[in-house]
Amino acid sequence: MIEVKEPKKEIPVIGTLKAMFIVFKHLFQKPITTQYPEQKRIIEDRFKFRIFLSLDDCVGCTLCEQVCPNKSIAMTSLNRANPRNKRKIYPDVNFGTCTICRNCEEICPTDAIYLTHVFETSRTRNSFTYSPEELSLPEDEVIK
Amino acid sequence: MNILLRLALFFAGAGHYGSYFLAYIFETIFFMIFVAVVLIFTIYLFRKYMARLQLRYGPNRVGKFGSLQLIADALKLMGKESILPSGRDDFAFRVAPLIVFIGLFVGFAIIPYGSFYWIGSLTITHSNVSLLLIFGALAIMPIGEIVAGASSKNKYAVLGALRGVAKDISFEIPMMLSVIALVMMASARTANGLNLEDLTSVQFIPYGIPEVIGLFVFFIAMIARAAYSPFDLGESDSELVSGYSTEYSGMRFGMFYMGLFGSIFLGSMLVSVLYLGGYNGPFSSYAGFIYLLIKTLILVLVAFLVWLSIPRIRIDRFVNMGWKYLLPIAVINLIISGVLTLGLGI
Repeated sequence: MIEVKEPKKEIPVIGTLKAMFIVFKHLFQKPITTQYPEQKRIIEDRFKFRIFLSLDDCVGCTLCEQVCPNKSIAMTSLNRANPRNKRKIYPDVNFGTCTICRNCEEICPTDAIYLTHVFETSRTRNSFTYSPEELSLPEDEVIK
Repeated sequence: MNILLRLALFFAGAGHYGSYFLAYIFETIFFMIFVAVVLIFTIYLFRKYMARLQLRYGPNRVGKFGSLQLIADALKLMGKESILPSGRDDFAFRVAPLIVFIGLFVGFAIIPYGSFYWIGSLTITHSNVSLLLIFGALAIMPIGEIVAGASSKNKYAVLGALRGVAKDISFEIPMMLSVIALVMMASARTANGLNLEDLTSVQFIPYGIPEVIGLFVFFIAMIARAAYSPFDLGESDSELVSGYSTEYSGMRFGMFYMGLFGSIFLGSMLVSVLYLGGYNGPFSSYAGFIYLLIKTLILVLVAFLVWLSIPRIRIDRFVNMGWKYLLPIAVINLIISGVLTLGLGI
């Protein structure tokens, strides 16, 4: 038979005072809140969000469209002088459904499509779809 | 010289009756402004203090350091629609927050504030039984809560009101017993032991030192009377939705909210008057009001710390605490202070 050890009975007020002291000690610590728009936390290296596209490198192979698990990527035609992209098709990305799985980045044969640290992609227009030109622009130049 | 005479002198051009009439009116207005400032400041202090204990910043967007947040909140509450439940007892429902608020104001009017530099004494009520008066005023606020609970036609509100009654019955008696011990000690030195001003001025050492047990009992009973965590059984959010204030919204809810914080400040002020020497201070006797506020603030911070660090206790333990622990301790304290007064002559 296992003997159950009864916990030592403490004097009730002492424990309460201890708890109060532990809470009170936090008064002298710095708040851990990040005041977001003014202060920004350091982003980890492996954090990725916004997809970028290098229009000169894209060969229009449509692999990214095929590998995208929820069909966020669709190929659109864009009239642009690029000898490597004979069919003149480039991917556009719908960030409303993108889950940042990074399959497109991995499959891309020319590293034309890649993910970056940029994450502040809030916008006022209805569509979350980025056209190929918008994908190649930095975030603050995209019309929102 | 006190504030009433100062005001009467200021309005001396209006004749004898006219000057006193104006002086009374302006005294009331100053007093109301003081209570309003105290309420706003207490809520702001609580929110900042709670935030810092939880490693947050607290309100810091409206005004400098968020100091205007409470005014913004009050404006928001005034602008909100006041939703009245059907099946209510209309008059009682409307009048309940006012009862709480009036009890608070009357309580604040009786405290002896001491003198403040050239103005002189700030005390408003000069009564020989002000100790009885203030406990009478403190007994008004629970009536408002009970009326609110009973008139809402809501099960949770009624349960909250019933718990409020249990709270008041179990903690009123130890509180009064510890006060009796205090009056016993004071009456060895003054004829008016029931006069708060005399009770304060005879404290050559703060009565909290010989009456440590009484201070302990009174402070706990005061926290329980104000009904916040760990004694917030009347409005325990997880069991009863919000207790007696479930059906209230808008400014009527705001009045209950302010009543809670006002009763914390009033209770701390009462403890500092009765046990910590009130307006008595080490250096200048003209700064009595400042000394009282400093003592009160320290007690308010302790009371908030109790609120923020201890979880709510069960209803049966709560009532047991009043009857089985605090009441015997208060009686023992009564005997001890009798021995101290008659035997040792403190």
